[in-house]
Amino acid sequence: MGWTRRDFVLGGAASLGTLAINTPTFAAAPSYFSGTSVDNGVTFRSTNFARIDRKWQRQVVKYFSSEPIGTVVVDTTHHFLYLIMENKTAIRYGVGVGRDGFKWYGRATIDQKALWPRWTPPPEMRQRHPELPEFVDGGSPKNPLGPRAMYLHRDGVDTGYRFHGTLEPGSIGKDASSGCIRMFNEDAIDLYQRCPIGTAVQVLPHIADQAESAAKISQANAVE
Amino acid sequence: MSALTGYSRLVVAATILMTLSACSTTDIAEVEEPAVAPMTGQTNDPAPGFANVKAGSEEDFILNVGRRTYFTQDSATLDSVAKATLDKQAIWLNSNPQWLIKLQGFADDSGSTSAMATLSQRRADAVMAYLVSQGVDASRVWAKGYGNDREVRDCTSRSCKVQNRRVVSNLRTERDAV
Repeated sequence: MGWTRRDFVLGGAASLGTLAINTPTFAAAPSYFSGTSVDNGVTFRSTNFARIDRKWQRQVVKYFSSEPIGTVVVDTTHHFLYLIMENKTAIRYGVGVGRDGFKWYGRATIDQKALWPRWTPPPEMRQRHPELPEFVDGGSPKNPLGPRAMYLHRDGVDTGYRFHGTLEPGSIGKDASSGCIRMFNEDAIDLYQRCPIGTAVQVLPHIADQAESAAKISQANAVE
Repeated sequence: MSALTGYSRLVVAATILMTLSACSTTDIAEVEEPAVAPMTGQTNDPAPGFANVKAGSEEDFILNVGRRTYFTQDSATLDSVAKATLDKQAIWLNSNPQWLIKLQGFADDSGSTSAMATLSQRRADAVMAYLVSQGVDASRVWAKGYGNDREVRDCTSRSCKVQNRRVVSNLRTERDAV
């Protein structure tokens, strides 16, 4: 129990730069990365979507709810982020969310957005992980925010939560961060384009239509 | 370029004229969109046409490019985010020359009804000029402002307004009759 998933993620983040260059990746499984892309002058590793379950890939789905067009709804139990569109449809993105205990629910707005943002680990995270630097520059291959961050505010106050990219595409669809909503880097770039400042956000345990499935998931977790 | 400006001016004039004369017939963007069958099925089912998205299809444009360009309050200026969206649109449109593009401008800002009509037209014109500057043939594109025809309602005023300050790039196979 000493070696939690979050420890792994953070350790991975801290040492990724050297790892990626010096050690060959595990031979058996194809890599989560394939080639590189350039965004605003920064070269980054492209997600190998051939390796990613179709479920977590960006897609347009039916979505029955009364949420107005342009609203972002996050279903944390099922690891989906929906951007509501017209005619009962939504763009659905796979996301990684906070581990149990770090989950956060409520309404907010996207009040700030950033390209290749600098990452400042919160003080409590640095207490647990003294090896973390004070900050990591934007565009650094060790920066867990990736190419974009969208900052969630509530009544004008920063909630501390963000939508952002990831260094670990394999963590999408899982609970593995400190309360932030992580996305494939390509999806973080896409969502950034589609959400003007002022976009309404709702973070939910699960959407109403998925209540039955959510009950099953929480039962399964209780047995564990 | 002067022809374009002339055309735009004509449209602005026409829009203002219509707004002024439109007592019973409101110019509504939704009315001009193809009718959509009521949606049935379940949340998370693939949306109609999106089960297998083909490159070059309208679904491809919606999913992988995005139809909407947003503006800040009272502005028809394209910011860096708007230009990034339009750069993607231009690349896609240039490699899919079979499509025509109808640009629908909207405004939900400060000012009178006619000021909103003018602003929405300026937004649509700005998008058209930018797409043309990125190599899209001007003969494929037309731009129309709809003023404060608010598509997005029933949310806090701020979140609704930011959605309504936009231009939607609609793919078309032929020009509108009107």
